[in-house]
Amino acid sequence: MTLAIEARGLSKTYRGEGAPVTVFTNLSLAIPRGEFAAIMGPSGVGKSTLLHLLAGIDRPDEGSVAIFESGLQSLSPRELARFRNEHIGFVFQFHHLLPEFTAQENVALPSRIAGLSSREAGKAADALLARVGLSERRDHLPRALSGGEQQRVAIARAIARGPGLLLADEPTGNLDVAAALSAFGLLEELHRERGMTTVLVTHNPELANRCDKIYSMSREGITLARG
Amino acid sequence: MSFESFVALRYLGKTGALRLIAKILIVNVVVSSVLAVVAGLFPSRAVAASIVAGLFFLAALLYLLLASRSHVALMVTICVLGLTIGVAALIIALSLLSGFQDRIRAQMAARTPHLEVTPARGALLSEPAAVRETLASLPGVRSVEPAIEGRGWLSDAAGSTVLPVRFRSGLPPPAGEGPPPARLSGSAMGRTGAGIGSLVRLTSSRTRLSPIGPVPIAMELKVADLRRGSALDRSPDVEVPEAVARTLAALPDGAPAYAVRLDHFDRAEEAARQVSARLGPAYRVQTWKELNAPLGFALRLEKLVIFVTVGLVILVAALNIISNISLLVIERKRDLGVFATLGAAPDSLGRVYVLLGVAIGGLGTGLGLAFGAGSAWLLDRYGLVPLPADVYMLSHVPFALHAGELAVVAAFSLAMALAAAAFPARAAARLAPGEAIRLSR
Repeated sequence: MTLAIEARGLSKTYRGEGAPVTVFTNLSLAIPRGEFAAIMGPSGVGKSTLLHLLAGIDRPDEGSVAIFESGLQSLSPRELARFRNEHIGFVFQFHHLLPEFTAQENVALPSRIAGLSSREAGKAADALLARVGLSERRDHLPRALSGGEQQRVAIARAIARGPGLLLADEPTGNLDVAAALSAFGLLEELHRERGMTTVLVTHNPELANRCDKIYSMSREGITLARG
Repeated sequence: MSFESFVALRYLGKTGALRLIAKILIVNVVVSSVLAVVAGLFPSRAVAASIVAGLFFLAALLYLLLASRSHVALMVTICVLGLTIGVAALIIALSLLSGFQDRIRAQMAARTPHLEVTPARGALLSEPAAVRETLASLPGVRSVEPAIEGRGWLSDAAGSTVLPVRFRSGLPPPAGEGPPPARLSGSAMGRTGAGIGSLVRLTSSRTRLSPIGPVPIAMELKVADLRRGSALDRSPDVEVPEAVARTLAALPDGAPAYAVRLDHFDRAEEAARQVSARLGPAYRVQTWKELNAPLGFALRLEKLVIFVTVGLVILVAALNIISNISLLVIERKRDLGVFATLGAAPDSLGRVYVLLGVAIGGLGTGLGLAFGAGSAWLLDRYGLVPLPADVYMLSHVPFALHAGELAVVAAFSLAMALAAAAFPARAAARLAPGEAIRLSR
């Protein structure tokens, strides 16, 4: 079975103005292609940091990350950016939509970064907005959308380039129960439709139980809690 | 449109920055129009009205800036305004200087020949007729006259005041009988007490032989004209017809130089090149600019000093751009992290801020050009800054706009804005995306 994610011996310490904070040391994780996995664990154990390292938006102090058998550490910043654009989608807890851009423009951003024309990117974004059920909201700015709608737009933006890997950092953590269920349902559907590998961090055991596997993360490391 | 320009334009448009700048412009136009009407109706109150209008505009500007709810709009607007003020100040200062300098140059061109041809060696031209013919055949030549000069003493008819002067040919031949005409410079006239129509005596430093030995050559002249005084007329001189100058200089034929006047003094360099090519190395050809080289150098130096000193305002505006765009990079750290997560390369993120700098530079420079050039044109056209005409020979302060100078100011301002944006752009490109997301959660 080929691996979507292969992380070996990851260590990360944040060095700011105060004392250095070690988030984790020697952490390893392997997730096969096509899996729908949840990562659970208490706050502060480094779940978000792990997702950032897997997405290549942060670099580990030690260890290596390979996504679809490509070692991220060997890529230059420019190559890494292109790799993220083509292969990795990321959903943040607080949607992080750009406030000056409409829903459609937010969804079109990854395609525009890839160099597609505004027309092509807009067309693709329209199709994705239709898929997440927000066609009529395409010209609205994020502040005019509800929390659930904002997160659906963020999910559409994450899959805009058809990535093989979707990483979601507590995608339902900021939503009410109905919106959370709806957003999670959308992630499940998209995972099935597109044959992606999906890894999400969640604190919600009910939602985690709907995933193929659950990884449990603690200070000691990460283990498979339910296979 | 590229991703970078798309984002930069959104930062300008959707944050309300362009709207805020447009509002300020509208207030400016309204205040200026009201001021123009009031100044037109009550010219004696124009200065007071200008002060009130300026204070009102400042108050309106402060209100608009403070009422802005978007930091991005506020920062961008302040950057644009800083550059606008710098560019406008530089253009007004330079056009003021150009206004005066153009008049000095015109006076220079009026009182010196546009071209002067002298022998490369020796005191007299070897083939004056051939030189004259060559010069007269050039296109755009108005007159070719031998330049005959000398030194002498000017005295009034009673002989009570004697003043050392230079005399030179330049007046047309006398039309009627009587003493030949002379044109006196302002200082010559003032110091001898002579007026138009009075008789003066010009005694040359050259002598002629007489039965009693060498005696000075002297002629009686009638003051026919007065050349208005100017900064260039410090030493007294007298212009006389060619025949008189020949007599006084004891030079019955030949010429030490030919003085050429052209239809347009701006074409002197081009004409000088043609003359040099035709006459060859035996002759020296100088333009009016070369004949007045020290003064020309002083004028250029004056302009350079003004450019450097007033240009410091643009430097301050550029520092303002550095600080404001740097703040913008910090304020929009999360956006940068998101763009990077979506796959934007570091240099691409830097380019967003470079483009923002270019847009700020373009807007500030464009508005500064319009405001500065418009003000200078209005000040000159309607003579809004009066001068005591008896002191300056001008009724108002002249302003002259030169396209070349506007282009230099615009290029300087754009270059400074671009250089200023490069610093924060570098910071944006170096930002670690994970850290940007983590710290702005």
